Amino acid sequence: MQKTFTRSFDSLSDIYNFTEEILSSGDVEDAVRFPVHLAMEELFTNMVKYCPDNDNEILLEVAAIDGNVRVAITDHDVDPFDVTAPRNVDTEIPLDGRVPGGLGLHLVQQMVDSLEYDYRDRQSTVKFTKESG
Amino acid sequence: MFDIELGENGDILCSGRLDAAECTKAQDFMDLISGSSVLDFSQLEYISSAGLGILLKTQKRLVESGAGLKIINVNNHIHDVFRYSGFHSIFEIEVE
Repeated sequence: MQKTFTRSFDSLSDIYNFTEEILSSGDVEDAVRFPVHLAMEELFTNMVKYCPDNDNEILLEVAAIDGNVRVAITDHDVDPFDVTAPRNVDTEIPLDGRVPGGLGLHLVQQMVDSLEYDYRDRQSTVKFTKESG
Repeated sequence: MFDIELGENGDILCSGRLDAAECTKAQDFMDLISGSSVLDFSQLEYISSAGLGILLKTQKRLVESGAGLKIINVNNHIHDVFRYSGFHSIFEIEVE
């Protein structure tokens, strides 16, 4: 299934409901649902934050088959931003050296099974998968 | 839907989903904390990096004054998020 969403954090509730409906019908277990929702939010909000003046809606495509999930997120008329590039996050830094932010894509890279990025004709497409077991 | 409130025992009760759209509500509450506090996550289903940012910002402010946050009843999924973020070394965390 696919659906477009307004480029706003306020879309997150609708995105959750859209995704959850598909995951429920696809018999997807909690251990898969959580990282799918997290990756969906982090990737969507990343597109919102780094291109706030773009009026184009963002396209989400979600498929749940045999408990496994495939997601594609497409953004139009944007500059490239490779979400698969290593984030080089040091999670051992003590509290006084830490600053809020920068963990979102690190978490995505840790929690999904595959992550792909494609950029052509000013269109960014991010695909990820999360498998059961 | 996310909610945050002070429980009868003085712990701070968080419930629902703490995503980027709910951060203002969470931050406004956390900004009122002035001493060591316990966050009860027994009813919190989900947290994203936006929520982690609020926890980190609050912890830094409290530790500077000799206080800090303890987070209890953390579910397995949120525990994974903490683990991947290295939060175990900067928070006192108890799983469910």
